[in-house]
Amino acid sequence: MTPAEKKNVFTGLAFTSLWIVGLCVFTAYPVIASLYYSFCDYSILKSAVWIGGENYRELVTDDLFWKSLGNTLLYAALSVPLGTAVALALAMLLNCDVRGRSFFRVVFYLPSIVPVVASSMLWLWIFNGEYGLLNGLISPVLGWFGLTPPAWFTDPTWAKPALVLMSLWGVGNAMVIYLAGLQNVPKELYEAAAIDGASAWRRFWHVTLPGIAPVVYFNVVMGLIGSLQIFAQAYIISDAANGGTGTHDGAPARSLLFYTMHLFTTAFHDLRMGYASAMAYVLFIVIAALTWLATRLSRRHVE
Amino acid sequence: MIYGLLGGAACVFLVPFAWLVITSLKPIEQSMTLPPSWIPRAYYADLGAGKTEVTLDYRTRQSGAVVERVAGENAGAMLFLADDQLAQLTDADEPLRVLQRVEPGWWRATEKLPRDAPAGTPPRWRFVPDSDVESRVKFRWENYPDALGSLDGGSSDPASLTSKHRVSFWRFTANSLIVCVLGVIGTVFSNAIVAYGFARIRWRGRDAFFAVTLATMMVPFPVLMVPLYGVFRELNMIGTLMPLWVPAFFGSAFNIFLMRQFFRAIPEELSEAARIDGCSEWTIFWRIILPLSKPVLATAGVLHFLHAWNDFLGPLLYLTRKETFPLSLALQSFQAQNGGVQWHHLMAASTVTIIPVVVLFFFAQKTFVQGIATTGSKS
Amino acid sequence: MHLGRREPSNMKRAIPARWLAHACRVLALGVIGVAPALADVVGKDGKIHVTYWEKWVSFEGIAMQATIDAFNASQDKIVVDYYPTSQVDRKVLVATAGGDPPDVAGLWVQNIATFADANALMPLDDFIREDGMTSEEWLARYYPAFAHICTYRGQVFAGISTPAVIALHWNKTLFREAGLDPEKPPRTVAELNEFARKLTKRDPKTGRLVQMGFLPQEPGWWPWIFARWFGGELFDGERVTIGTDPRNLEALRWVASYTHEYGRDDVRTFASGFSGHALNAQSGFMNGKVAMVFQGVWFDNYIRQYKPGLDYGVGPWPEAVPGVSDFAMTEADVLVIPRGAKNPRAAWEFIKFANSHNPQARTREELSGIELTCFLQAKSSPLRAWSPFFGKNHPHPYIGIFRELSASPHAVSVPQMGIWQEYNREFMLVFEQTRLALAKPEEAIAYCQKRMSASWARYQKSLIRHGQVAASTDAREKTEDAR
Repeated sequence: MTPAEKKNVFTGLAFTSLWIVGLCVFTAYPVIASLYYSFCDYSILKSAVWIGGENYRELVTDDLFWKSLGNTLLYAALSVPLGTAVALALAMLLNCDVRGRSFFRVVFYLPSIVPVVASSMLWLWIFNGEYGLLNGLISPVLGWFGLTPPAWFTDPTWAKPALVLMSLWGVGNAMVIYLAGLQNVPKELYEAAAIDGASAWRRFWHVTLPGIAPVVYFNVVMGLIGSLQIFAQAYIISDAANGGTGTHDGAPARSLLFYTMHLFTTAFHDLRMGYASAMAYVLFIVIAALTWLATRLSRRHVE
Repeated sequence: MIYGLLGGAACVFLVPFAWLVITSLKPIEQSMTLPPSWIPRAYYADLGAGKTEVTLDYRTRQSGAVVERVAGENAGAMLFLADDQLAQLTDADEPLRVLQRVEPGWWRATEKLPRDAPAGTPPRWRFVPDSDVESRVKFRWENYPDALGSLDGGSSDPASLTSKHRVSFWRFTANSLIVCVLGVIGTVFSNAIVAYGFARIRWRGRDAFFAVTLATMMVPFPVLMVPLYGVFRELNMIGTLMPLWVPAFFGSAFNIFLMRQFFRAIPEELSEAARIDGCSEWTIFWRIILPLSKPVLATAGVLHFLHAWNDFLGPLLYLTRKETFPLSLALQSFQAQNGGVQWHHLMAASTVTIIPVVVLFFFAQKTFVQGIATTGSKS
Repeated sequence: MHLGRREPSNMKRAIPARWLAHACRVLALGVIGVAPALADVVGKDGKIHVTYWEKWVSFEGIAMQATIDAFNASQDKIVVDYYPTSQVDRKVLVATAGGDPPDVAGLWVQNIATFADANALMPLDDFIREDGMTSEEWLARYYPAFAHICTYRGQVFAGISTPAVIALHWNKTLFREAGLDPEKPPRTVAELNEFARKLTKRDPKTGRLVQMGFLPQEPGWWPWIFARWFGGELFDGERVTIGTDPRNLEALRWVASYTHEYGRDDVRTFASGFSGHALNAQSGFMNGKVAMVFQGVWFDNYIRQYKPGLDYGVGPWPEAVPGVSDFAMTEADVLVIPRGAKNPRAAWEFIKFANSHNPQARTREELSGIELTCFLQAKSSPLRAWSPFFGKNHPHPYIGIFRELSASPHAVSVPQMGIWQEYNREFMLVFEQTRLALAKPEEAIAYCQKRMSASWARYQKSLIRHGQVAASTDAREKTEDAR
């Protein structure tokens, strides 16, 4: 290394020193400690006892683990594409030269800053099977076809879809980012496409989408990470809609038992910190794998 | 057509929100009527002692007492009396049984006055006919002070718990602000410094280190939860607000990423020119890069503020004493243990809680959107 | 600085950490100008301040505050400070692990075994002994059901803050409408089913349910009690027995019979208007949608609040096991001392006060200790002896029935099991699958047995590993296996 290079390394390290400390104390150490605990029989108040791979062996045969993983993946598979579509659609509407854009932007963004306790309670009420606002609106329509509306959060089949619909209310965050991305797509490209006589669909497919590909990638990955860690809404709603038993078991019939919820229950209700750490690590691997997949898929469009 | 679509979408997004605000302006029993009603109302009945506001279950809101006649031809009749009227009536000949006010909307028979009914007889009640009840539209703004006053313990009666253990709404707000403001300061400065190191200085190992930094974004919080608790315990920070803002001073992968993208977009010539002039990296950072980066600094700051303001899990994990709670966690006190929720208070307090962030977003949205625009599309 | 208690080898690691903490404090002080408040063992007033975390926020908290005020006034050395705390069980655990627990914590009965096994609780036996009593003498004050609740693995871990007895509540108005005698609740399960049928109404046009006589999932807080009510055993102290005791299956078949009779989807739509709202204005019982429910002694408080004047009756559980006409479910909110509490002795003084009473009380002012709490909360007392005033002037119109049930030899409470929370969740699933007709009761039970046997074995192994219990239970199991 030349002295200049050395100096650069020193300067670089100096600038990043805060992060080096932060990374070590608030991320690296917990990540390593957690890995250690995942091989231990550990509850907060008792010393950790090394038990090798027993936690992981148990995970493989634990139905609840698979159930919660399946629920979570299904939720992510529904909410991420739908959320992307809705957020992008809203952003594109706003990107047309409309008056009152900032008003609409606030309207769409507002829900994503409502405290989660409040929004969960609100939606619980809207999705109420008998008197909820939603069923009040759709039951006359369904009645034409001789159908009755579902009981949403108390029906194992419909609880997850209801949660997905609820998540769409909170797409404001992604919408703002899409809007920003759309405004960055050069106007000339659209003009050129219009001269070539491209249809609206082709313009979207060949100009808009490539133009905002990095934003889509960013939002999808963030959405994926977020939805795989869904916790508070499910934690509050599942309990409140099904009798307030305080068991946090993802009622009805474990259809709302999501991974983080199961993990939290295991760690803080059953005090099985070691097992919970093993679960956390599996989640880590799942998220890393899916992110890698998203990156591979998007490589053609991004950069 | 665009306006039609936008308007429709805006309605869908606003209806639940309108429901939130409307519920916050209703009395508790109207917030739970089946089917839901959209207009908050007040009911009045003439009960012999002038027009009194009543609920459909005939409970008064004013301070006073519900009185039941226990003998004579009016046995079982209920009267709603203010305190002074009560004093007059207890002197009357007719035996009365007082249902004393324990807290607003909550009554209990006391042993104060003689009862002629044997113990175990449930109270007899007479209901005022609907035709005698007058209804008017009324927004209950007093829910707001009531809700804020009761954040500490679910009861809005000042006599309910000794005042020394009451924690005021302002304390929760102050806690929230401490966490948010310190967190924002930490986020803006620490991440800017670190991101500069990643974006504008070429050094060996930088890219590998940055890759590691990005990788940490994928670490789910549950992985960190248990050991982080141990870290803060070692630092003697459990039960204080520090675990909620101290980490912000040591950078976060997401914000480093955000700022690095921005810094990289600033023409390299500016730095080169400054270097030739003999400026140190710090001077370049402080004098040239930082002033150009206001949008991204604002973005990171606003994002952190929003996150910290609504954070629920962090306070839940590290805080144990009520007087250290931020608003987000204090909101939870409206969720009573056995499924009884003070909906109107919860919604009122929620409305108050989101006002600062709404205002912030209104003012900051331009910088915010700009900041994101510059980063999001150039990764 | 507390460096003295650290190992020298830890010094290097400890110092930067402490420096960091110190730096943060200085920063915090500089910015906000307030020092983090820490409770002292002896306060400025020269008294010991006992911190007491309790879940109650409403009238129950006010009642406990009255008892605390009485305690504070009864002596001049100790002051109890009441802190209403939501999710108190988890907060206590976090604080105990963090080394700064409260002196007294108000938990639920099902927490005792879990917390005790986790080393989070101090046994109270030493305090009782210091007071010149044996544990048995101390426990003799309670009805047996409540004495049982306070003990675990042969040690006393808790005092009672307020007891709860769960009994049948029925709506007399609906009984009259259905042509039933409002003073005669069902005496047997067969009668319960028959009455329920008579009390169920459907909309003649749409066929939708508008009223039901009885609904097993209302309120749905303790479905496991149905198994116990039918005489089943869920845990025999050694083993999980849900699948081996046929009476558990019988109970669940009874639950399934309701789904079968009234229709799963009909019931679900009907119940979604009120499920989860057992104690507020939306409650199915209070709105006259469900005519009979099993509810606790607290229910009257909520009826007074949301449906004053509701004409209802309270009676014992109908006979599910022939000859057992006094079955009851007992529960309690309990007072415990977390391990690491700074003032355990003073905490015990308070628990002792809160679990005593003035047997001679003849006026409201003379009520003391647990009777004061229970009177103000309109609940029954867990003590065998009731003062004259408490018994005669109790605000709950049906307190006598709750007292009888408290004394019942057939009173049952939550199984004492460190993994009860998990078991309860599994049972909830069995219950849900049964009532939603997602599985046959015997299949659901077999699955639960399989899972819980494995969990129990794993839990036992963990206790052995930490040298907590183990050898004895382990040895016993081995000898049994050998036989």
